[in-house]
Amino acid sequence: MITAGIDMGIQTVKVVILKDGVAAGKAKAFSGFEPTKAAEQAFAQALQLANVKKEEVSMVLATGSGMDMAPYSAGNVSMMGADAKAGVFLFPSARTVIDVGAEEARAVKCDERGIMQDFVVNERCAAGAGTFIEAMARALEVKLEDMGPLSLKAERASPINATCVIFGESDVVSLIHRQESKPEIARAVFDSMADRISSMVHRLGINPDVVLVGGVAKDVGFIESLKRKLGISVLVPEDPEYAGALGAALTAASRKKGASK
Amino acid sequence: MKSQTAEKKYLPDMPQKEIEEMNATVKSASAKIIADNIAKMKKTDPNRPAAMRYFDEVSDFFGMRQKEIQAAKAQGKKVIGYLCVFAPVELILAADAIPVRVNSGWYDTSKFGDRIVPVEVCPVIRSTIGAKMINLSPYLELSDAVITTLTCDGMTKFSEILSDVKTVWTMTPPRVKDSAQSLHLWKEEIKAVKTQIEKLTGNKITPKKLKEAIQTMQKATKAFRRLQDLRKGNPVIMGRDAMLVNQMSMWDDIKRWTEKTDALCDELEKRVAQKAWASPPDTPRVIVTGTPMFWPDNWKLPTLIEEATPRGLLVGDELCSSDRVLYDPVGVDEWTMDDMINGIAERYLMASTCPCFTSKDGNEDRVNWLINKVNETKANGVIYYVVRGCILYAMEYARVKRALDKINIPVYYLDTEYTREDVGQMKTRVEAFLEMLSARVDF
Amino acid sequence: MYEALAETILAVIVGVGLALAGVLVVLIWKTDRSRKVSYLRLVVQTAAVVGIFFSFTQALWLAIFLLVILVATLFTGRFFCGWICPFGFYMDLVALVRKAFRVRYLTLPENINQTLHRLRYVIAAVVLVSPLFLGALTVNAQSQTNLLFLRDPDRSLGLMLSPLEPLIVPWAGSVATLSFVSWSVSYPYTRDIMFYINIPLVTSILVYFFIASTLLSTFLFRRFWCRFCPTGISLAAANRFKAFKWSPLLHINKTEEKCTKCGICKRVCPVQVTDVYEQKGGEITTSVCLNCTRCIEMCPYEGCLKLTLAGKTLFKSRNWLEPSKTE
Repeated sequence: MITAGIDMGIQTVKVVILKDGVAAGKAKAFSGFEPTKAAEQAFAQALQLANVKKEEVSMVLATGSGMDMAPYSAGNVSMMGADAKAGVFLFPSARTVIDVGAEEARAVKCDERGIMQDFVVNERCAAGAGTFIEAMARALEVKLEDMGPLSLKAERASPINATCVIFGESDVVSLIHRQESKPEIARAVFDSMADRISSMVHRLGINPDVVLVGGVAKDVGFIESLKRKLGISVLVPEDPEYAGALGAALTAASRKKGASK
Repeated sequence: MKSQTAEKKYLPDMPQKEIEEMNATVKSASAKIIADNIAKMKKTDPNRPAAMRYFDEVSDFFGMRQKEIQAAKAQGKKVIGYLCVFAPVELILAADAIPVRVNSGWYDTSKFGDRIVPVEVCPVIRSTIGAKMINLSPYLELSDAVITTLTCDGMTKFSEILSDVKTVWTMTPPRVKDSAQSLHLWKEEIKAVKTQIEKLTGNKITPKKLKEAIQTMQKATKAFRRLQDLRKGNPVIMGRDAMLVNQMSMWDDIKRWTEKTDALCDELEKRVAQKAWASPPDTPRVIVTGTPMFWPDNWKLPTLIEEATPRGLLVGDELCSSDRVLYDPVGVDEWTMDDMINGIAERYLMASTCPCFTSKDGNEDRVNWLINKVNETKANGVIYYVVRGCILYAMEYARVKRALDKINIPVYYLDTEYTREDVGQMKTRVEAFLEMLSARVDF
Repeated sequence: MYEALAETILAVIVGVGLALAGVLVVLIWKTDRSRKVSYLRLVVQTAAVVGIFFSFTQALWLAIFLLVILVATLFTGRFFCGWICPFGFYMDLVALVRKAFRVRYLTLPENINQTLHRLRYVIAAVVLVSPLFLGALTVNAQSQTNLLFLRDPDRSLGLMLSPLEPLIVPWAGSVATLSFVSWSVSYPYTRDIMFYINIPLVTSILVYFFIASTLLSTFLFRRFWCRFCPTGISLAAANRFKAFKWSPLLHINKTEEKCTKCGICKRVCPVQVTDVYEQKGGEITTSVCLNCTRCIEMCPYEGCLKLTLAGKTLFKSRNWLEPSKTE
């Protein structure tokens, strides 16, 4: 059976083609002003990579904040539901899935079947999401992908005001003037994010194993900080930003299976 | 009447032109929202009970009911507004006056309130201040006096702000329910407000009139409970419709409201017999608890719940703007004036589940009420709804969550504001929650 | 000869009265839901006091009657107090008079009520033991042996059963003798006062003082005597001894989740029991509760309070609210 999942994220659209229980094709594109078009592009690309024709796809489900604008989709899956499904698929021992995206972070508690039991979302604050890192990278005049490795060089973290991205940015500037080293500032950025995420997860209750997905999960600096703040290790899959789309495709597969019973 | 030329301490002197402009703008926006809400409710339930048409009519603030009250005032009747369900409505009725709840449910008036008080203040208060500034609320405008209950900080200072332009009678509830001195204090407050009402209306509240008023409200409670009972089984009425009926009880003529609600219940009972459900019986059943939600703008959450994918059903709530309004009757043993005042005092104080109290058992009254409601309506989940700024409700979340965790009912904390901008975000959360409830039901 | 006539007349009056009461109950049953159990209780109380009077004319009946009450109370606790006791009945009648005059009742301030509650055993003991000492004052040696219970040829009832004394007794020598039929007007405990304190003027003063004070306190405080009545306390105490803990089967039972703390039960209780209000669910076991079930009658939440006998619900609180238009 072939199903597909489209994650209409705010920054990027991700598509996963699931062929008989294996993620056969993955593609993404920048959402921009025309997310539907971007999704169509990414979809075509994923089909190519999976060597599958569009007609062979029996069901497409959409997720992400722009899910209502997804093309081809037969319905929606919540991001939390998709994360839970993907987490358990990638790591069968997963019971808590943390998803840190560009603008929002969320955590889901699930059972062994990937059914979500409870969830929590960071409320209207970008200081716990990818945008924060971008803003800080700008202030430090460092490339986004270099922030992680840079922070790993630090032995301690500089103190920064982690209440707000805007204030955080001016804080970073003042730290630079005080000649704090860039690695230490970078690490402080990740630490404060991890702090915020970890208190959010504590509200949910940490149930091991913990899986980290989402765009920010690619950043080694953040992973280290999160491990430190949570006090346990986290499992990170390959291509963590595709977890949402993967979860949507998995949900499509189980719905299709259920319907055909 | 309060002298309009007395120096105002809080409210600004806005130019008349601005007031008129803003009034017109918000009024037309409000009319649109009301029409929109009702249209959506009609769409969701194609067989919406015919009896709901009456309540739709009453829900138009600027329509029939406003004219009725104006006519009554012209004949000398007094209108007494109130901001909280602590106000003893029976006393107002016994003095032949008209009781109306005057909390504002308009999002657009918050920005005027923001000119006077910071944004951290309770949105309901800010919105009501704003509504007063542009003379929007017909009920507030028509009130000869307003009873405020000093249950929280917002209300406490709001009483001062409102007294710039209105006669405000404050009632101080004790913060601890269960001591002899608390009940004594509250009884004295009730007696004081009784005197105020008698002075304003010029009518003495005799035992006979008070008995009649209490019995009128008891009848209303009976009809009210009848409606809530019908929501316990398979869905015969959408939650938004029931909520509308509940809210109207605070603005409509209570005797007529009782009749119309009974007529609605008759219709619903026929639906039960015909098994004509408003929604499939396996729709996830949700209860909302938390800060009050006022018509029309605050239909945001109920609309999201009942129009989401997957669709949910609002089977009940623990809100002082809906399922708690008429739930408790005044119980009188011997119809002497003293016993009736005792009955009124105890009903309004002891039966309240407001988090404004502190107690040794952690507001067990509220927790028990909620658990009982969950069991009776067979709810699948609870949404804990808080408008940002309400510390009392926010702080009780931990208590309620623990109690509901024990009976394995999922709770979701949803905080929001008097704004339309977060509908998108709320939608994803509500849909995720409903998805979760569906999954639990399926398995 | 006059006795037989008086008995017949009395029987007719009582019979008619009971019939009327029965009709009244049925009529009120349909309309005033907040009082139907109360009226039923009045009928049962009337029947009980009439039964006691007639059983006085036949010693065997009296013995059976008393035996039934004794055994029943082993299982029903203070149900006797709420539904059978004639003294309680007189207090309820006084309450009816008070209501007719629209006079409000008083409640003891809570701290005094609690103190009285704690001292109730002491007070009951004092009342029961005092005959021992008073008996020594009077010349009667028998008084020390015929201490508490069924006793001597005076055909009075003994201190423990004094509350059962009907207002009219078929023998002379009580409070005021009706010589033409050699009956007398009587009142609970007065025979005991007259027996143990046999001092001419003092006795009369004490008897009338007792009658006046109990009637007045009842007029003001509803079932005042019941809060420390020796008979009542003994019944309750017996039920609470370890050996008898299993025996009381009749309880008022509360379902915690349905209670909204409206306080109606606390207000209508004639003995100011607050346990029904304060207790977190379960059986109400306080020894002050008379099982009069007024609280259950007035509780406006369906199924919150129940009267259970051996776990089975006899009746539960219902929505007594005025029926709305369409009912």
